[in-house]
Amino acid sequence: MIVAPWSIRHVDLSSPDAEIARDTRPVFAVFWWRSLPLGTGTYLPEQLPLNRGQLLPLASELASAQLAARLPRFGGPARATRDGRPVMNVPLNAARSSGNLLVELERLAGDASADARQLAVIICTRDRPQALAQCLARLTAQVSLPGEIVVVDNSIARTAEAAVSRFAGIRYLHEPRRGLSAARNAGIRASWLPLIAFTDDDVEPRPDWASEVVHAFSSPRVEAVTGLVLPARLDTPAQSFFQLQMGGLGGGCLPLIFDSRFFAETQALGAQVWRIGAGANMAFRRSAFDRIGLFDERLGAGASGCSEDSELWYRLLATGGTCRFEPRACVFHHHREQWSQLRSQMRAYMRGHVSALFVQAALFKHPGNRRRIFLQLPNYFVRTAFRAIRDGGGAARLQILWDEIAGWLCGLHYALRPGWRARSAPVLSAAVASAAAEAQWR
Amino acid sequence: MPYRILQIELSEPLGSFTLDAPQDGFAIVARWKDRLAGFCMVEAAPGVTIDEGQLSDLCATHFGRRVVSLEIEAALHEQRPAQSPAAAPSLSIAICTKDRPQRLARLLDSLKQVSVQSRFSAARILVIDNASVDAATRDVVAGFSDVDYVFEPRAGLDFARNAAIRNANGDLLAFLDDDVVIDPNWVDGLYAAWRSCPDAGGFTGLVLPYRLDTEAQIEFERRGGFGRGFEPKWFHAASADNPLHPVGAGVIGAGCNMAFDRSLLLSIGGFDEALDTGAPLPGGGDLDIFYRILRSGRTILYEPRYAVYHEHRESIPQLRRQYWTWGLGFMAFLAKSRRHDAALKGKQDAIIRWWLLDRLSALAGAAYRLRLREVGFIVAETWGGIVGLAGEYDRSLSRIEKIRRLSP
Repeated sequence: MIVAPWSIRHVDLSSPDAEIARDTRPVFAVFWWRSLPLGTGTYLPEQLPLNRGQLLPLASELASAQLAARLPRFGGPARATRDGRPVMNVPLNAARSSGNLLVELERLAGDASADARQLAVIICTRDRPQALAQCLARLTAQVSLPGEIVVVDNSIARTAEAAVSRFAGIRYLHEPRRGLSAARNAGIRASWLPLIAFTDDDVEPRPDWASEVVHAFSSPRVEAVTGLVLPARLDTPAQSFFQLQMGGLGGGCLPLIFDSRFFAETQALGAQVWRIGAGANMAFRRSAFDRIGLFDERLGAGASGCSEDSELWYRLLATGGTCRFEPRACVFHHHREQWSQLRSQMRAYMRGHVSALFVQAALFKHPGNRRRIFLQLPNYFVRTAFRAIRDGGGAARLQILWDEIAGWLCGLHYALRPGWRARSAPVLSAAVASAAAEAQWR
Repeated sequence: MPYRILQIELSEPLGSFTLDAPQDGFAIVARWKDRLAGFCMVEAAPGVTIDEGQLSDLCATHFGRRVVSLEIEAALHEQRPAQSPAAAPSLSIAICTKDRPQRLARLLDSLKQVSVQSRFSAARILVIDNASVDAATRDVVAGFSDVDYVFEPRAGLDFARNAAIRNANGDLLAFLDDDVVIDPNWVDGLYAAWRSCPDAGGFTGLVLPYRLDTEAQIEFERRGGFGRGFEPKWFHAASADNPLHPVGAGVIGAGCNMAFDRSLLLSIGGFDEALDTGAPLPGGGDLDIFYRILRSGRTILYEPRYAVYHEHRESIPQLRRQYWTWGLGFMAFLAKSRRHDAALKGKQDAIIRWWLLDRLSALAGAAYRLRLREVGFIVAETWGGIVGLAGEYDRSLSRIEKIRRLSP
């Protein structure tokens, strides 16, 4: 049985009288320390209220993880290892002479300060004008306005044009070639700023999102940034299942550096680039596209299904680049409402994932990609089936599992078509990129 | 074979140490400013010296972040002082024991400071002598001042626990098994737990190993022991993280270190005397009381500062038998709950299926890795569970009927 609907509550633990009151619904809580997201928790009505006695140890635990992941003297910034887990060894001497940690915490939790004028925001949309309007309303109300907002309309009938015209200063672009990757690439080509962020039409960014994205690029070696994606609502069983059983679009609140170490540690199983983030909240330096090329138009919604984002991160990490997950850059995503929508989404996810693995295998000849397709994923299917039967009430999970297996088969079929694997991702400016690619990949 | 257990205060210089010739490992019980902060076990070569640098690295890996967390918690407590407490309740500490005078003496020794140290309005110790065959237990108690003694002629741990409920007068009633000794901060830990949740129905605490001298003791601790972590946990009638909660009551705590609101115990009828009956069915009574308290709507709080050191089973056959009793006790408890609490029948059936399938996959894993001893443990636990499901609770009921008739 799937619990729904949930109340979503935001709790600022920096406030002395923070608590979670009783509720008739179960509560999905998001814990903050001012602008710093600390973590999430789920509570049934029987577990409420949460008061001081319970919140103080929780706040301490969550805050200590933030300090350990962020402060250099505590071993930060945290680097990701297998499964996206951070390594956090706080040296004992640093812990002993730690001073007033609440002051440090306040410093980390301050408001966004970066100027977003160097950031272009690209929203690709297809026949969802109402959701798009909501997204644009949030974007045009950012505390620091992005220098450029580009809407790429991937519909045939130009359904987004009217919505865009209601906002000032937004560029409208029509990309008739079907596919999210094609739309994203059109947006990149049309924009001119040094930092490029992507979000989706079913997303509502927080007011400080643009500023936080820019701030996350403060280290010059970071070529890509991803941020936190929280559920906007958990009203239906499909939304609740996607978030709580399938992990949603992430939700971890520890900042992480994904670099050559993460790539090396996970490469044997296809490099777990999907742990880096979600396409609904990601950004790149323009120079990264120069270096490694654009989104692969065989991948993504409207083509193979998804993973055009993670395949780009794969290229980035495989060639020595660094991605940064910064949860302070936070957006809210409207998950699919209907069970049938969720099912086709999970099918598309797996199909896209498998085809991206094929693309990566063809590009880099890393054997881990095939190992993931032919060993690890079947293993995951068997384990998931066993768990669903063991844990009971697994009918919904088995149904979704069936869709994942179907997606996997589709992915095989898709990628094994003649000629499909021989194609490659387009490049931003042909000469520069191909030269860079030659130099890096040989 | 033996592991050395080190008590380390992380806020002071760590120093170095050398393992004795037979010791091939060590365990660390770490404190930060006197508060328990973590536990870890490390394999090492016999006779090896661990210098300050190595020890410091180990502590950074295992306890560094916990120290930061404790520092923040201390700062938050200072910044946001708790409201002054309601009048502190009184505490009774019950020790149920049978024919183990030496262990009882060891435990009573560790409790000597408790009544002085305690911030409860009163703290009395009560020994329930559960049908010991000779006077040794009574003699041990006579050697301590201010320890009350009650003889319970009907053998069975839950007869003894119910005798404790009747004979104690504290508002809170803490139970200790005779095979533990308490941590110096035990009573402060229980008090802190009560302060953070005064209306809780029960409290459970951390159980650490008293010694790790034998293969069986080390193996038990390595397989998880009684460890339930160094963060407090709140348990209620349902949990968003675990759809089968509270039927899987084992996560809540262990019977060797638990405390309750005594009036609640009285109102829900005390412990089930058909569980924990010694040799035939030596377990399940703690699970049953946790479950009934949560089902009554009250909270149980797990507090790691409220800690004891437990003397684990010495030999592998004893340990195997302990796993057998875990399976038996858990399933006997479930058989009882299915009968008396039909509202949760779905969860009860689901956890039986979960448990059997989980044992099965653990068995397959251990067999695949050719870990024969592990296979033995899992088979023992599973077999215990099957016996428990196959009418053991009913057999136990008729056994205790006989005991009641013999000594009313």
